[in-house]
Amino acid sequence: MIKLKNVDKTYWLGEEKVEALKSVNIEIKDKDYVGILGSSGSGKSTLMHIIGLLDQPTSGAVYLFDKDTSKLNDSEISSLRNENIGFVFQQFNLIEKFSVLENVMLPAQYAKNKLSFNPREYALELLERFGIEDRANFYPNKISGGQQQRTAIARALIMKPKLILADEPTGNIDSKTGDEIMKLLESLNKDLGVTIVVVTHESEVAERTKRKIYVKDGVIVDKY
Amino acid sequence: MNYYSFLLKNAFEDFKRNKTRTILASLGITIGVFSVVMLIALGIGLKNYIRQQFENMGSNLVMIMPGNDLSEGGFSSFGSSLATGIRFDERDLNTISRVDNIDYVVPIFMKSMVVTSLEKEELASLMGTNEDLFKLMDLKAVEGRILEGQDISSRSKDVVLGISIAEKLFDDAGNAIGKTVRLGNQRFKVIGVVEKMGDPEMDGGIFMSYKTTFGSINPDKNFFTIYVGVDSEGAIEGVKSDIEEALLKRYEEDEFSVSEQSELLDVVNQIFGMINSVLVAIGSISLIVGGIGIMNIMYANVTERTKEIGIRRAIGATKKDILVQFVAESVLLSGLGGIMGLVASALIVLVVRPFFPVALNFLAVFAAIGISSFIGVFFGVFPARRAANLTPIEAIRYE
Repeated sequence: MIKLKNVDKTYWLGEEKVEALKSVNIEIKDKDYVGILGSSGSGKSTLMHIIGLLDQPTSGAVYLFDKDTSKLNDSEISSLRNENIGFVFQQFNLIEKFSVLENVMLPAQYAKNKLSFNPREYALELLERFGIEDRANFYPNKISGGQQQRTAIARALIMKPKLILADEPTGNIDSKTGDEIMKLLESLNKDLGVTIVVVTHESEVAERTKRKIYVKDGVIVDKY
Repeated sequence: MNYYSFLLKNAFEDFKRNKTRTILASLGITIGVFSVVMLIALGIGLKNYIRQQFENMGSNLVMIMPGNDLSEGGFSSFGSSLATGIRFDERDLNTISRVDNIDYVVPIFMKSMVVTSLEKEELASLMGTNEDLFKLMDLKAVEGRILEGQDISSRSKDVVLGISIAEKLFDDAGNAIGKTVRLGNQRFKVIGVVEKMGDPEMDGGIFMSYKTTFGSINPDKNFFTIYVGVDSEGAIEGVKSDIEEALLKRYEEDEFSVSEQSELLDVVNQIFGMINSVLVAIGSISLIVGGIGIMNIMYANVTERTKEIGIRRAIGATKKDILVQFVAESVLLSGLGGIMGLVASALIVLVVRPFFPVALNFLAVFAAIGISSFIGVFFGVFPARRAANLTPIEAIRYE
């Protein structure tokens, strides 16, 4: 499902050259549940962004769903993100001016192909499953962090993606809620067969994943 | 919700959150559209007004004026020759009267003078003319009677007043009949008041026999203009050339002009066409300034919403989606401004219309809306391109 071959990523911070990733080779299979671990600045987030096509590698190849992504144009990449990848961020990244329901439905607005389901009904179903259906018409700043993250997960799921990429999903919420969020992700993997990649620096979070990839200074140091 | 209502909703949500900014940004366009539409409306109004004045003078009218031919010399010679050129006199009147196919020959002597009644003093335009002026302009008396042939030849001291000067001096037109007015050191008797013509100069006019003006009022015994009423439209060309031929015996070719009403109207239309273009060009400057205001706001908008753009890109918005979204907002912003400007100018036109023949020109309306939308696209594209070209992760991380 995901294959990175000799991926390098360098960028410039003023005069300083930063080598965020150095010849990274990984493969993640369908229905896998993978934790990417590393300390802050290790390059794990950069890795996730490259997997999620939010960023491009300086060199190397990224294969996603058996496609060489370097050969895709902007609209093909956008479609791939829209239909197949759901993102969950540490900062939730909800759009403040939209209600919970509107946030969840937003990806459907960008769908280029006709959807096989009613996005509104499915969004409400997801909110119900996550226990926040009574918050559907609230704005993000009026609900708790846990509820915001659930909204974000519902948004990530609205297009029924094959892959969920979560960047420190429990980083901004208390541990109890964090635990609930992790259970939610687990169940998505187990019940719906969604491939999940979680980037984290917390070992408790990593404990729950099926497989772990350790990143240090832009290099994969361990995989098991 | 389809894609376009989605875009609209996005835009309106954003406007709602930034009401002041939205209004201020549109205001530039509002003023621009308002000034363009208003200037065109006033230009049309002025043109209509002048055409009405010409139409009041009746058709089949030939005008003899000092100076170059209008159609050749154009507008520049018009004013200067009136001021410095020749004057016509009674001999010219007689010459012209002998031309065939003429109904009326009307001399016009004009002078601004202070006129006094018993209690009041007003500035009036004195017109020394003959009885045919009233026929030529189809003027009827609302009180008393108009001047007749015998008033002219007898150098009578009777005068006919325009409606507005009559009301100013005697409060009511009916009151004026039989009263005395003073012009300089002479007394005149009011024998009639003529109906409203719409031209302030004529409505404020005091009409008397041109022969009566000879003396202290018009010591040189001359006229500025001679109007000739031709008996049929087909005879106009012949009458013109006959008059020219007759006058050339006395004057040089460039000392006078013989023109028909339509020629003068053409010149006037030409002048106002030009004035209109200049006005519109001036108005357009404010449209451009308004457009730059929109661009400025859209740049601020893009910067402020960079994170939102990143989020939208992450969940599947293409560059084009972002571009379209921001251009749509910009167009909506300038379109709103344009509509406000249009409404404001329409209201003003409605208010002014009873007093002055202004008119909303549909071309101007469409142009204003078209131009403001175009400005929205043009000035919105640059900020929108910047928004669209950000890589998603750069945008999301932007704080």
